[in-house]
Amino acid sequence: MGDNDVWQGTLALMILRTLESMGPRHGYGIARRVEQISGDQLIVQYGTLYPALLKLVQQGYIASEWGASDHNRRARFYKLTRAGRRQIEKESQRWEKAAAILACFSSPAEESL
Amino acid sequence: MRRLRALLVRLWGLPRRNREDREFSEELQSHLQMHVDDNLRCGMSPEQARRVALLKLGGIEATTQAYRDHNTLPFCETLCQDLRYALRQFGHNPGFTTTVILTLALSIGANTAIFSIVNALLLKSLPYPHPERMGAIYTRVTGAQPWDERHHLDGEQWELLRDNVPALMPAISGTRPSGVNLESGSHVQYVQSGRISAHYLDVLGIQPVIGRNFSEAEDVAHGPKLVIVSYGVWKNTLGENPRVLGQSVRLKGELYTVIGVLPDGATTPLNADLYTAIQGSRTGEGSGTNFDCITRLRDGATWQQADAQINQAWSLRANKYELDDNPGGQVMYYSVPLQRGETDPLRPQVLSLMLAAGLILLIACANLAGLTLVRVLRRTPEIATRLALGASRWRIQKQLWTENLVLAVAGGAAGVGAGFVALPGLLRLLPEHFLPVASVSLDRGVLLFALALSIATSVLFGMLPALTTRKLDLRSAIASREAIGRDRIHLRQVLITSEVALTVILLAASGLLVRSLIHLQTLPPGFNPSGVMTARASLDNVRYHDGAVFRKLLDDSTSAMRHIAGVTQAAVGLSLPYERALNTGGLDIDDGPEAGRKVLTAEVYTTPDYFAALQIPILQGRAFTDEDGPETQHVAIVNQTFAREFFHGDAVGHHVDKGTLVVGVVSDVAMAPGLHAIAPLATEETMYVPARQMDARQFALLHVWFQPSWIVRTAHPIEGLTGQMQRALASVDPTLPFSGFYRMEDLLAKTLAMQRIEVALLGTIAGLALILSTVGIFSLVANIVAQRTREIGIRMALGSTIREAIVNVGAPGLRAAAVGLSLGLLVSAAVLRALRSALYGVGVYDTPTLATVVGVLVAVSLIATAIPALRIARIDPARTLREE
Repeated sequence: MGDNDVWQGTLALMILRTLESMGPRHGYGIARRVEQISGDQLIVQYGTLYPALLKLVQQGYIASEWGASDHNRRARFYKLTRAGRRQIEKESQRWEKAAAILACFSSPAEESL
Repeated sequence: MRRLRALLVRLWGLPRRNREDREFSEELQSHLQMHVDDNLRCGMSPEQARRVALLKLGGIEATTQAYRDHNTLPFCETLCQDLRYALRQFGHNPGFTTTVILTLALSIGANTAIFSIVNALLLKSLPYPHPERMGAIYTRVTGAQPWDERHHLDGEQWELLRDNVPALMPAISGTRPSGVNLESGSHVQYVQSGRISAHYLDVLGIQPVIGRNFSEAEDVAHGPKLVIVSYGVWKNTLGENPRVLGQSVRLKGELYTVIGVLPDGATTPLNADLYTAIQGSRTGEGSGTNFDCITRLRDGATWQQADAQINQAWSLRANKYELDDNPGGQVMYYSVPLQRGETDPLRPQVLSLMLAAGLILLIACANLAGLTLVRVLRRTPEIATRLALGASRWRIQKQLWTENLVLAVAGGAAGVGAGFVALPGLLRLLPEHFLPVASVSLDRGVLLFALALSIATSVLFGMLPALTTRKLDLRSAIASREAIGRDRIHLRQVLITSEVALTVILLAASGLLVRSLIHLQTLPPGFNPSGVMTARASLDNVRYHDGAVFRKLLDDSTSAMRHIAGVTQAAVGLSLPYERALNTGGLDIDDGPEAGRKVLTAEVYTTPDYFAALQIPILQGRAFTDEDGPETQHVAIVNQTFAREFFHGDAVGHHVDKGTLVVGVVSDVAMAPGLHAIAPLATEETMYVPARQMDARQFALLHVWFQPSWIVRTAHPIEGLTGQMQRALASVDPTLPFSGFYRMEDLLAKTLAMQRIEVALLGTIAGLALILSTVGIFSLVANIVAQRTREIGIRMALGSTIREAIVNVGAPGLRAAAVGLSLGLLVSAAVLRALRSALYGVGVYDTPTLATVVGVLVAVSLIATAIPALRIARIDPARTLREE
């Protein structure tokens, strides 16, 4: 479960990034894209994806509307809002910083020992 | 910020929950379908494609639930459920619901109405700018006879305060407005005139809409005659003339120049229709402490500085009267907020009313706690079932509290409604200008108070039932048919005991006040009040500063009134029995055992027939006659108290006031005391002098303070008497209207207004308490009967008599009432001593009152017990057994 916790927190950023690069997408498309990018290391279930999407909608970072999919299925499409674009910047910086700090701990410099 | 947004979106989602749910399941379906499509494209069989997709994606139901929890607020959702459930429950129990809401409406209504007066008097700030910088001056005297009250100023103090206290802007006024006649054209109008110093309106922060305030140069003795009128007078009497400044109006028989018009709705503590300059000095009115004072702190100064300066300035006085009867004492002056200064005299009454209203609320809570307890216990099987089916105890508690809250809020709303209805009635009880505030309203503060009260009530009465369900034992609760155990009845008995005890206190208190009022109203008046009509007119008019004109007015008008058919006597007096009389200080006792003493007395000028018209018995000597004129020996008649106090009973033939001969002694009459305020109605040393021998120089001041009364005694009721009296007066002076007509009963009622209000309010509250207690006892016994029908049926089948059964069932109610009664009497013995200052002619431990209280409570408890207990007679043992 520990793995899952980390990636729950990052899922929001992954969704935002996906929508930024791919344009409007439905839930299934977002899930597949996240799985693909992670080299199928991650498995996106309903139970994690949809609450995350809902939270982003409620926060106003993404908006949703109904449309038709590539194969003409009715689906709800999500797209990035302006607030969402700004949020990507902030979130990315936060994660880069966090990752950099963590990197220091996983390969500590010799002289500090 | 983002969180708030999310919360709002979720709240918004509440009502559209169903559509959201539908859309989400559609979304999930399409997601699943797309996954299956992809799997199919990868070459799986349709079954396999679906199975793999489902496995990978996890449970659909759990996801839907998680999604819904995020989409709306689950807490609110259950709250809505609880609310709906509560409303349904109340719909099923209309009797219970009505009882609760009515109880709350009465108790919260009483509290709301009384609190709105507390609010207007003590809490809301005065309607002036920066009310916190406005003050009144108090005097604190320590020593053998300490006192501490609002200070009235004499002329010397006023001048020192005005000139030597730079921290304050002070202003003075007469203690109350006086009735005067305002003539404009041929029209004479009777208006209230206040006398104020320069800066009085500045202290209040009122700026005239037209014109200006009195200047310091105008506010000096013998200064110009100027008047500032209220907006109402300007509009109604002066025709809204925008060029009114500099116009003259005839006031008190003299021409006054209008220099200002107050803004619409502006009020002053005097509440007058127009204002003239008081022009206070050290002589005349200013030789005594006849001025009221208000102050405003100047910018940059502090109250400490102001108080220091006041004490410094007033230490320079020549006349330090405060310590006259208190040698060795210390005097200290200090400022208090004007609000307190204005409302201090009413504070104890208002607060004790609020306390009584609070007791009502407690009684109501005890009742409601009993009722809701029964209701919750009746629902024990239902609650136990819900617990058994997996509801959490928290969820059940939440449900119960929601119900209480709904009840309390509904009751609170009904209470505000009741208060809204009751408040005007309450205010109508009060005499006009009784409260020193312009209006009393149900404003936001009062509504908040009512809301807080409702919620507090719901907590108080909901606590007990909620606590009992916490200890619910599931197994026995489901199995048991008996809804209420013995311990619950004990609990309710305790509740009833306490409410009966509170009721006893309220009943005893109001009983004592009723007894005081009866005592005051049936005091021997010392004269014959029936068959008398009196009328008052303002002689505050420069024309009547002339002694001859004054004497002619009295002679001619009384003689004209004597000619009205049916009138047997007509007279004039400066004041009447039941009223406050003029106080005269420093009166010399010339001879007799107390010779040389200077005394304080009430003084009344009268025409010769005053005693005959009022039928005040003359005990020694003679009445005044027409021969007692300005040129003859000055004479006086004194009352019994005067004769006893100053001449040891034998007054006729002695002299007072440097040569005035006492020619008679008359019986004491009941009057509103002005010298020693020990009771609202008493007898004081009184000296009567002939109106014809009055020194005309006194009239200017005397008739500002007092309006003399014309008195006629009739042999039988006369149709249109007041009109004929007015015509008789007009035949002598057509510009002199009577300001009002009063029978002696009216004057008595006016003097005892405060006592009547106290009785009416506390009586109502005690009545409410009695009703609530009755309902409490009644419902306890009724519940016991309902629960034990089966048991009683079996007992009766086994040979018990109906009598025994009734006694058995009624006993808990009666026992609770009896314990409550004794407890209440015990507590009353301690608490009622606080009432002592409001009681006259009756002790705190008044046997008739206490006996009545006991009698009423015993009777009421018996009835409240008997009615439900008698239902037992209708129990048919055979049927009860069959039901078994």
